Amino acid sequence: MIRGTVIGQVWATRKARGLDGQTLLLVAARDAEGRATGRLVVASDTLDARAGEDVTVAFGSGARNVLRPGPDNRDLLCDAAIAAIVEGAG
Amino acid sequence: MFLGRVAGTVWSTVKWPQAQGIKLLLVRPYRVGDLPPGAAAAPGAAPSEPTDDLVVCADILDAGPGDDVIVAFGHAARVAVSEKLPPGSKPMVPIDAAVVAVVDRVEIPR
Repeated sequence: MIRGTVIGQVWATRKARGLDGQTLLLVAARDAEGRATGRLVVASDTLDARAGEDVTVAFGSGARNVLRPGPDNRDLLCDAAIAAIVEGAG
Repeated sequence: MFLGRVAGTVWSTVKWPQAQGIKLLLVRPYRVGDLPPGAAAAPGAAPSEPTDDLVVCADILDAGPGDDVIVAFGHAARVAVSEKLPPGSKPMVPIDAAVVAVVDRVEIPR
């Protein structure tokens, strides 16, 4: 997983059927010191995260488990999902 | 997934049979430094170096150069491509990145 900050939302009408109904947020990744690394990630959101909030993003099967707990979730089109809204980090 | 701009196409004749008919695009990922000023105005944000790294992606949406797209990796990419295969096909295609959306709009509150 990575830690990052939500900076916006992405909208698309021409998309794979598997993305229907998913909210896609743009997240700027942060390093251990809290600085933006420059990397941008698009993640599915089920937690209603808002711009400016710090979040964790899970990838791969971990991301699918956010949308629907497995093991029968390999039909989902999801490789990154917001897993938590971060309140603090040391 | 990541947000990127289609930079070109790739074609080949020698490839695994399962990859026949799959169009390939070159996509350059956007970085924080590519966004409008103030977009990443969170504490500690620093301008990032642009990258020339390109990702080769399967395309099922007929995207073209200049389009902004979302690219998914891994199993999610194969799930997207299998939407275009005959019903009941398993996502066994030899790809690990695919264009899954053509972006209309990116909304970035200041």
